[in-house]
Amino acid sequence: MIEDRKAGEGYANQLSARLFGKQSAYLPHREPVNIRPVGEMVRALCGLDDGEWTEYAFSREPLNGRFNKAERHKLMQQAIDCGRQIAEECISQYGASGPLTIAKALGLNVDYPRQPQDGGRVLFAEFCPPGDINIFMDAIDKAHELLSEPGVREALGAIHIPDVLLAHELFHYMEDIRAKEIWTKTYKIELWGIGPLRNRSKIVVLSEIAAMAFCKRLNDLPYSPYVMDAFLVYGYSADNATRLYLEMMTFADKTPGTSTTPKEGREPM
Amino acid sequence: MEYVIGIFLILTFFGLAWYCVKGHNLMIGFLIMSVLWGILPLVGTLFVSQAFIDANPILQFGAGTDVTLMNNIVRIFQASSEGWGPILVNVLWGAWFGRVMMETGIASTIIRKTVELGGDKPMITIALLNIVVAGIFTTMMGAGPVISIGVIVLPILMSLGIPKALALFTFVGSVSAGMFINPVLQGQIRGFFPGIGELEGFTQFLTSNFSLYAIAITVITVTVMSGIYLKFSRKSHAWAAQTGGAQVQQNAPFYTLILPVVPVILHIWLGFPVIAGFITAGFAGLFLCGKMGGGFKNSCQLVNKMYFDGVVDTAPLIGFLLVLPMFNTAANFASPYFSAVIGPIMPTSETTVLILFAIVMGMGLFRGPMTLFGCGAATLGVLLNVGDFSVPFLLVAFSIPTIIANIGSCITQSWNAWGLAYTKVESKDFLKYSIPFLYVAGILLFILAAFTVTGLGPEWFL
Ligand SMILES: [Zn+2]
Repeated sequence: MIEDRKAGEGYANQLSARLFGKQSAYLPHREPVNIRPVGEMVRALCGLDDGEWTEYAFSREPLNGRFNKAERHKLMQQAIDCGRQIAEECISQYGASGPLTIAKALGLNVDYPRQPQDGGRVLFAEFCPPGDINIFMDAIDKAHELLSEPGVREALGAIHIPDVLLAHELFHYMEDIRAKEIWTKTYKIELWGIGPLRNRSKIVVLSEIAAMAFCKRLNDLPYSPYVMDAFLVYGYSADNATRLYLEMMTFADKTPGTSTTPKEGREPM
Repeated sequence: MEYVIGIFLILTFFGLAWYCVKGHNLMIGFLIMSVLWGILPLVGTLFVSQAFIDANPILQFGAGTDVTLMNNIVRIFQASSEGWGPILVNVLWGAWFGRVMMETGIASTIIRKTVELGGDKPMITIALLNIVVAGIFTTMMGAGPVISIGVIVLPILMSLGIPKALALFTFVGSVSAGMFINPVLQGQIRGFFPGIGELEGFTQFLTSNFSLYAIAITVITVTVMSGIYLKFSRKSHAWAAQTGGAQVQQNAPFYTLILPVVPVILHIWLGFPVIAGFITAGFAGLFLCGKMGGGFKNSCQLVNKMYFDGVVDTAPLIGFLLVLPMFNTAANFASPYFSAVIGPIMPTSETTVLILFAIVMGMGLFRGPMTLFGCGAATLGVLLNVGDFSVPFLLVAFSIPTIIANIGSCITQSWNAWGLAYTKVESKDFLKYSIPFLYVAGILLFILAAFTVTGLGPEWFL
């Protein structure tokens, strides 16, 4: 039963919005969360070490159900090693002059479109083979406003966000041109086999993990670029970012801080 | 004069199409239409020729007849809406059942296990997921379940490098395939054919002669076309943050994974009542997944909460279903005027109907005259006026555009609209995939219909 009146009113509002609202996007009802200040969120996430991102990273892996915890950690480490190694090779070849210089040297086409977005799924950047990289500036512009919030700069340090996103995509380019030899593209597991018929599959998240490790090394970040997942979303929806943050902390077996932001202005989208 | 009114009614119909394209609320739109289409034909009888009234018994009321004006108003605005009560109740139970399948983790487990069979090969995963999604939606219904499954399926497809518009297209196309036997949706479609309950063995006849093949054809078409699109599309590799989707991954026990299709199997092959099927399979899911362990009071609250959430999930559909029957009945009064204008060009043989419908399939988009969840109610009225068709034939002829064009391909369908917003796909990019699909699938299905539901015996006429 809906016992208290407030809950009942909330339900009625929800129902009438669904009945008489525009026929458009609708997200199922979620339990409310206490929105966390962006500074606290970023500080906590920057404190996580590489291994502590394992469960979060794999939660986005379609084949996640096939691995146990130990296997995930082992794969995580191997993927990180792979990404780092490629980064070292890049640095020794092109010098530590930053991802943009490397991208230019490789003849990549880097574009910075300003495609507007909203809360549910925020697109940061993409690599389109053979040689196009798009960095979506909308998310970055929103994030720039957050840099002046207390604690954010201290946690993130001197960071150039477009370069962070670019470095990640740069790794996917590296993978693409070395698809025959690079570990993230050659490591496969067997899903099933019937007689001579075998279905062997890559593990797509390994590419992402390696791209993050590559990005971390190339930008000299003391924390995992996975922090961007929550940080860049915060500019759109503090509510969604908080949910993501809580999810990340739970996956890392950490207790998230409990302070809440006094700012009520940012409504969930 | 009847031509003037007929043309004016046709204009209001274009107005509605524009209103739908704009994305306004369908319930209100159809309420306005019901009033217009109810009042104009009735008031129009004061101005039209006597011959026209003599030829159309539905327009005969007032002095000298045993029908009063008030009878007609009751028919349009009261009896029609009340008459859809049974359908609404089925929708509500279906919504509850959908919620149960989501919150027990049964539906998401099915999806994850399927993906684990497909792996990183996009076409294998697409094919397997399409089959499973179509299967799930033979029973589950409404925006809630589609969204809950969509937030699992879409990110997986996109993580395999499948372009987002294509991921959305293949997903919603498969959802529509299940609708050919979905008892809740079929109930809504049958609401347009009063008296259909008197036809003995109708469900079994339709299922074994048309619906099962239709599901297979639709799934295969979606999958093959996705493969072709994929071949010609640009792969992209995106870094995106996924929020609001990832829930705690709970694995439902293996033997519960059959439950989503239990109600429909019981209903179609054993004649088991739909609602009883929802209750049986729903509670089986709750018990087998250990959701009822928290004591009697907690369990009651849980069951209740799922019911509330289910109602919110299907609210637009419920609102629409409160109004659609009014429009449907009003269309009966309007159809003589339509017949006056377009009757001469309307087909009267089954073959010409099928050929014409295949050509104008696209008018099932944007709630146009080819979808029953749009202006198709009027088309149906006109067709009934000009020719004599069997019930299975008419139902199939209208189901195809309603399901393929409206539910599977149109951006006015509530969950397709959600999908566009969720994946950030432009409407035109989605329609670029869905319009060719609706024609290919539509033509194949009309060919199927030509072989299976034409030339039926007198037992299928009302
Ligand atoms: Zn990536």
